[in-house]
Amino acid sequence: MKINEEIIERVTRLVIEEINAKGGVQGLSAGEQTTGNGRTVKTSYAGFPIAKQGTNPKEVVIGVGPAFQREINKTINGLSLEDVIKNVKAGVEEEGMVPRVVKVLKTSDVCFMGLEAAKLSGSGIGIGLQSKGTAVIHQKDLYPLSNLELFPQAPLMNLETYRAIGKNAAKYVKGEKVTPIEGQNDPMVRANYQVKAALMHIKETEQVDLSIPYIEWK
Amino acid sequence: MKRSKRIETLDRRPVNKDGYINEWPEMGFVAMSSPYDPKPSIKVEQGVIVELDGKRREDFDFIDEFIADYAIRIDRTEKSMAVSSLDIARKIVDINVSRKEILEIVSGITPAKMVEVINYLNVVEMMMGMQKIRARRTPANQAHITNLKDDPVQIAADAAEGALRGFREEETTVGIARYAPFNAIALLIGSQAGRKGVLTQCAVEEATELELGIRGFTTYAETMSVYGTEKVFIDGDDTPYSKAFLNAAYASRGLKTRFTSGSGSEVLMGQAEKKSMLYLETRCLYVTKGAGSQGIQNGSVSCIGVTASVPSGIREVLGENLVAALLGLECASSNDQSFTNSDMRRTARTMLQFLPGTDFIFSGYAGEPNYDNLFAGSNFDAEDFDDYNVLQRDMQVDGGLKPVKEEDVIRVRYTAGKAVQAVFRYLGLSEITDEQVEAVTYAHGSKDTISRDVATDLVAVEDMMKRGITGVDIVKALAESGFEELAESILSMLKQRVVGDYMQTSAILDEEFKVMSGVNCPNDYMGPGTGYRVDGKRWEEIKAIPHIIDPNKF
Repeated sequence: MKINEEIIERVTRLVIEEINAKGGVQGLSAGEQTTGNGRTVKTSYAGFPIAKQGTNPKEVVIGVGPAFQREINKTINGLSLEDVIKNVKAGVEEEGMVPRVVKVLKTSDVCFMGLEAAKLSGSGIGIGLQSKGTAVIHQKDLYPLSNLELFPQAPLMNLETYRAIGKNAAKYVKGEKVTPIEGQNDPMVRANYQVKAALMHIKETEQVDLSIPYIEWK
Repeated sequence: MKRSKRIETLDRRPVNKDGYINEWPEMGFVAMSSPYDPKPSIKVEQGVIVELDGKRREDFDFIDEFIADYAIRIDRTEKSMAVSSLDIARKIVDINVSRKEILEIVSGITPAKMVEVINYLNVVEMMMGMQKIRARRTPANQAHITNLKDDPVQIAADAAEGALRGFREEETTVGIARYAPFNAIALLIGSQAGRKGVLTQCAVEEATELELGIRGFTTYAETMSVYGTEKVFIDGDDTPYSKAFLNAAYASRGLKTRFTSGSGSEVLMGQAEKKSMLYLETRCLYVTKGAGSQGIQNGSVSCIGVTASVPSGIREVLGENLVAALLGLECASSNDQSFTNSDMRRTARTMLQFLPGTDFIFSGYAGEPNYDNLFAGSNFDAEDFDDYNVLQRDMQVDGGLKPVKEEDVIRVRYTAGKAVQAVFRYLGLSEITDEQVEAVTYAHGSKDTISRDVATDLVAVEDMMKRGITGVDIVKALAESGFEELAESILSMLKQRVVGDYMQTSAILDEEFKVMSGVNCPNDYMGPGTGYRVDGKRWEEIKAIPHIIDPNKF
């Protein structure tokens, strides 16, 4: 638990430092909009090629959040995002399918992110992956807030689960009868992590850029 | 520094594992009042509100516009706004001022004014207000019925036991979205096996939830979410108008519905526009009223970890429940989400709704152990049943539950399991074995049950939906499998949809399927000697806890 408190403190301190660097909150007038207010330095992706519509029927597109591997490098429970994405891709490949990573910039909502990924995917199956670690397996013809499998409790995730998500997504592509990954539940997750989740999501949402919907990512 | 053993001991206490944060209005981390909240104002020209809380009509966002056009009584507003907020706050706690009189005044005030009123009240005054203002005379309770395996047999058994224990509404949800129809029908059947007249719902994606309702797999709906800032609405591909339309879709099929909101959601989504949680939630409640919903589930709900992290957060939660009641809405007052590691803190939080009584004290008490609660844990769970019953007995308070006998629990769980087994068999769905029914009958949670073949279940769900199976098919399946009484009960629940009386504010059904709502059983509390009192048969029920010392044995 000690580590968790340290993360809160660190995230809070970073955000406050950034505010101070911008001249402090006193500098903002009461009427000013908070959305996209440049509290964190916003990364510009201008000039980046917009992610292409896939045509490969073996493809699984992984749509990651706007702050992924840039402003945020670790999930809410400290997994490196590099390892996370490596495992998701490995899971897809193990089933003989082809992963492709795009960064979704138009939204920070995991379900909409997953749906965008599914729509870009040559197979119609996509994975949404927020920088804090929340994930969803989506299919292009489902309602946005529906899904094939949802992993809402990011603090309970480990690298094996991310690999399994990649595998299951690939199995949906192959049209197999898929057994969903067994759910996990910790009733204390809200008490222990919700403030941190809010701070991380604020950071992610600050990077939303409606002018570039999605870009190819590594 | 050499550490103090006292402080070290305190540092290890559960309460210190919770997340706390200082007020930070710029990011919305502020409970009751933000320096950026608007000041109350109203201007009406030719029957149209042209200024609302310091904003001119041309500057309205769609929430302001919706509120100005549908949620404020324009004929009363100038008179209501002339009453000082302090006076309104005092009337709320004054036993000589009736609920009706207060609701009339409040129907003309703006959201910013409402926030001002609530800020005058401490928690005891808010409880006094809730006791007087809640819509229905008697409080009630709602359960969550879920499990980690999405096992429909366990859902049926837990629903039956929950109904037996007194819950008048039961809500399920899913771990795997595609399981929703099975969960919904298991809940429908199980609930009636425990006690007649229990309303049931399945909280899933909105279009799916509507379809389940239309098919007659559920008897009410609750998960129509509204938000306090335009940006959050837009991110969800929604507007107040689309929510009003969805509400009308349910109404057209005769289904009871309530909206869902709760403070902290805008903060969690990074779109709080620097406003206080209470102000944003008040906007949600005005939208709810304007959309014509009879009620709301609120009290921070799933964002309670955020609201509880700031000073006065738990006071704010009761405050927003009270705003709902003041707007004449049925209030299902949350308490449905774990938010703290401290037993002391979670109990204290619930007392604020338990003591005055609300329309539904919990909008999800976990009717299973919390490890099975797919709403990520409720504030109270199945392991707290006896604690809760003793609290009712200690304070002579009606929390909506009652002690039960072990043999009755086993009986209703078994009946529910057998009934679902029979329906699955009759409709040609996936198999439920006798061993599964047996395991579930005596189980505490999904750790004690036999796992089902999930992939086969999901194929059966898809097939059932394709075949167009409805509630009537379930009635038929039960009737032709030897469960005539249960079939009759579910038919009676479906008939409510045609009669429609249970769409009135704060309606529940008694065991004869008669409606008790804020219309035919209105709250008439006006101080000592009035209103609902725990007495008679109900008090005897509450008193009859197990583990009573028998003096004859000494």
